[in-house]
Parts: sequence; structure tokens; C-alpha cells
Amino acid sequence: MLVVSSIDLKENLRVMKPSKFLASTIKEPTININNDYRYLKTGYYVSLHAEILGNMVIPSCEDIIDSSRTPILLLRAEKAKIPTLPFLVTDSVKKIIAELGLPVVLFAVNPFIHEGYKTAKNKSALYRAMKSLGMNYKFTVCAQPVKGELFSVKSFFGKCQINDEEVCGLAAKVYALFRIPVCKLHVQKVEGKAYLCALQPIDEQELSKSDLEVISREILLISQQGDHLSV
Amino acid sequence: MSKIACFVEKYNFSDPREEAALYNFKNAAEKAGHQFNFLFRENIAEIPKYNAVFIRATTDPLFTAYIVSKTAWELGLKVVDDPESIKICANKIHQYALFEKYNVPRIPTVFLSKDDLHHKQIKEIFDTLGKPAVIKAPYTSFSRYVEKAACETSFRDVTKRFFKKSDVLAIQKFTPTAFDWRVGVLNNDTLYVCKYMIPKGKWKHGAKLRGKPTVVWGRTVAVGKQKVPERLKEVALKACSVIGKGLYGVDLKEVDGDFVVVEVNDNPSIYAGYEDSKDKDIYQRIINYLSD
Ligand SMILES: Nc1ncnc2c1ncn2[C@@H]1O[C@H](COP(=O)(O)OP(=O)(O)O)[C@@H](O)[C@H]1O
Ligand SMILES: [Mg+2]
Repeated sequence: MLVVSSIDLKENLRVMKPSKFLASTIKEPTININNDYRYLKTGYYVSLHAEILGNMVIPSCEDIIDSSRTPILLLRAEKAKIPTLPFLVTDSVKKIIAELGLPVVLFAVNPFIHEGYKTAKNKSALYRAMKSLGMNYKFTVCAQPVKGELFSVKSFFGKCQINDEEVCGLAAKVYALFRIPVCKLHVQKVEGKAYLCALQPIDEQELSKSDLEVISREILLISQQGDHLSV
Repeated sequence: MSKIACFVEKYNFSDPREEAALYNFKNAAEKAGHQFNFLFRENIAEIPKYNAVFIRATTDPLFTAYIVSKTAWELGLKVVDDPESIKICANKIHQYALFEKYNVPRIPTVFLSKDDLHHKQIKEIFDTLGKPAVIKAPYTSFSRYVEKAACETSFRDVTKRFFKKSDVLAIQKFTPTAFDWRVGVLNNDTLYVCKYMIPKGKWKHGAKLRGKPTVVWGRTVAVGKQKVPERLKEVALKACSVIGKGLYGVDLKEVDGDFVVVEVNDNPSIYAGYEDSKDKDIYQRIINYLSD
């Protein structure tokens, strides 16, 4: 098993830099570790190169694209019985108010904005949020109702370092479906139940020393089990 | 009877020739007893009401069109362009890597990663491909992010701009011709053939005039699929076969009596009186495919 990583990992793992892998023709099951798997960025091309070589790879290009396009993330999650809230892809304030009501949380669906979100409690805040995330109404946004507490967790191979079974269970299911090893999940908790809202990259600075240890430990585990890549 | 949604954006109606083509699709569908509605972004939520989705808005994994395509696909509808074709065709690195893997006749190409942009690498590229070399941003369409460079300074200048959005670029041997062949392909079969002429003194089908922001396009000359060399169609079909079974526009160049693929487009342009002028049945065939 080959580990390609843009992040400096702990332990004595055999890790290859993305640029070296991209110039190689190594045919081995591949785990691609990156804090940012965005389309067109190195993290994407590592998975693409592995797929072209015929390697099993985590994550796949399809899952990279789909997990970062919030409406598709939610659609596929819903199909897999992962809890989600209703959502709307639109550039219309009216439609959001009519169909979802307020307050809402908005995620961008455009080529330029890939992190963060905006919430709106009233109409004027919604107009402002639509204008900024839709880049002057040029693009649609993905709107979801705010029904409870909205927060973000880091997920490493579907494991998160918080003491909340509901959220940990959700993260594990999201990982089983999309297999993004390193990411941030935006989640809502409504009456004790956790709902998936979005999946986004983690800033490199946001990765703590203990995060790196967790990632390294998971990789070691996977390389010992070996069957992780065969699904 | 099939219900077909045609996903469009406002700009699809800004050129009367494209607008006419869109209505030709609608007429062909209705004549065959199908329902055909234009679906705008306001009404994406209506996708589940349809049996098939035909995307005419510009496709890219980062555009709304991908959301439409993948949603339709997940719901089990027939969809052109399908998400896999969008993913491959929207990215030159992806399609060129497949051409290499499956031996599709192509223009000599190397990939350049952002981390490898240094003097030695640039020199090696020029030594392999000659000067000038053609630099392509993977997401280019309408000739927009295809430029050539004949020295290290301009090579660095172009790549620096293209690297802002993509961490890998494609570099090719400069292979100028008087026109590009355009072969329309549907479901592994030739649909139409045209020549996309290159404007005089230029080297791209869509070329900028000196000092002006507007793009001039070379003429489109429909040839008719019966009247072209078999080998042209064979190479075009081979290129599509490594991508999928949808609707494609293959750009090829004739070099030393043989044909090489420049690129395969999903979502190919179809303008009334242009691509359709020798092969009149293209609307009907696409509708049949969607409603099958
Ligand atoms: N290697 C090359 N040598 C010469 N001309 C090229 C080369 N690659 C592309 N072109 C020309 O540039 C134009 C745009 O190239 P293409 O690869 O089709 O990109 P786009 O996706 O932007 O249309 C076409 O007219 C094509 O013939
Ligand atoms: Mg082209």
C-alpha cells in the first residue's frame, strides 16, 4: 500500500510526496492524504493519476467532486440513509423563504468559494448572504433550514475527536460513503440527532500535532488490515 | 412518450443560431410524441418529474450543470451529458491521460506539475516538444486558455497564470493546421462532420484580434459524414470509446495524411445552419437516444 501525502506525518510511515507520485508509474493500492482535495488541486490530481494507473485509491475522483458539491453530497447521503435536512439549489431569495422559511444556512455552489457558509435569520441578511455567496446572483447557492445548533468537526478517516456519539456516528457513515480521509464536516444537531450539512477542506494551519498523530495512527491501522482498499 | 428536460442558461438563447437549434430539438421531440421543456436553474428541483435530461448549458464539475447531471444520474434518468463524461471532458489532463493509456492517436503531450516548474524542466520540455510549445489549462474551452510560448520567459508567464486555478497543466507540440476537423459522435456512432476553419494568420479556431478583447471564430463548413475519410471517423470513435457513450464533439487535426485527436468535448456546440446543414437528422437522433 502506497501512502501519498502532502502533509508531514508522524511515525515512520513510508510516505511519498504528491509531485514524486505524479511523476511515477507505481502500481499499488494508494491512500491519498491531503488537507485540501479540491477539484484541480494537487489532491485531486493524485487520485486521478492513481485511477489512470488502475490503482485502488482513497478517495476517488468522483467522490472528491461529489462531496464538495453540497447538493450532490446531500443527495447521495440521503440515498444512503445518512440524516440530512431538506435543501434547495437556487438563486432566488423568494423561493428560499417560501419553501424553507427562516433561519437558513447557505453554502456556495460556484467555482470560486470552497469554504465557510453564511446563516440568515431575516430577509435582509438573506439578501446579503445570497449576494456574497452567489457572487452578485451570478451563481446558485445551496440553502438548508437552521433547526438546531450548527457546528463543524474535523473528520479523519471518519473519526472525530469529540465526545458525541451521534456526531461520531454520522462522521463514520459519511466516511464509509465518500471516503474523504481528511475533511471538515458541517453538522446540525436537532433534538439530539445529528444531520449532515456540508463537507469542506481543512486549512493546513488547522491541523494540530495531535490531529497528525491521529491520521498517522489510522494509516498504520489500515496498512495492517490491508482490506480497507479492496471495497 | 418521454418527458425530456433541456437544461439551459439564459446565454444559450443569446445567439439566434443556437436558439434556433434548441427549438429544432424541441420540435423533433414533440413530433415524435415526447414532451420537451426548457429547464432553467430556478427549476432544478423539478428534475424528478422527467425521464431524461439534456444539458445544453456549459458543463464543468464546478458549474450548476454538473449538479443537474449528477442529480439526474442518481435518480436513474437518462442524461446527456452524463457526470462521468463531464468529469473527463472538462479536464484535459484526465482525457489526455486516458488517450495515452489506451493509445488514441494524439498530439505529443506532457504534463507539468506546479512543483516542477523550473529551468531544467522547461528546457527538457522544449527539447522534447520543440519551440513554440502549446500550453493548455485543463479547464479550457472555446480556445480561451490555450496559448503558445517560444521561450522560457513567456513559458513561465503563461504557466504562472494557468497554475492559479489548476496544479497540473498540459503542454503539447505546436501542430498548426488550416482547420480542425469536428466529428460529432453519439453513442459510438458518427453524427455529423464539419471543418472548423482557423482564421487567417491565427492558429486557434477562436482567435483574439490584436489588442481587442473580442474573439473571432473561423467559419464552420459542414462536410457530411458520408464524404470524409473512414480513418477520420475511426480515430474520433476510438477517442470517444475511452470516455463514454454520450454525445461528443471530437476535434482532430490532419497531420502527414493521418489524424490526431486534439480533444474530445462533451456538450458540443450545435448551431442551426452549421453542424446540422449536411446531416439533418441530428436532432431526431439525439432525441431518440434520450427517449430510448
Ligand atoms: N498542440 C496544438 N497545436 C496547434 N494548435 C492547437 C494545439 N492544441 C490546440 N490547438 C488549437 O487551439 C484551439 C483550442 O484548442 P482545444 O484543445 O480544442 O481547447 P478548447 O477546449 O479551449 O477548445 C483549437 O482550434 C485547436 O486546434
Ligand atoms: Mg476545442
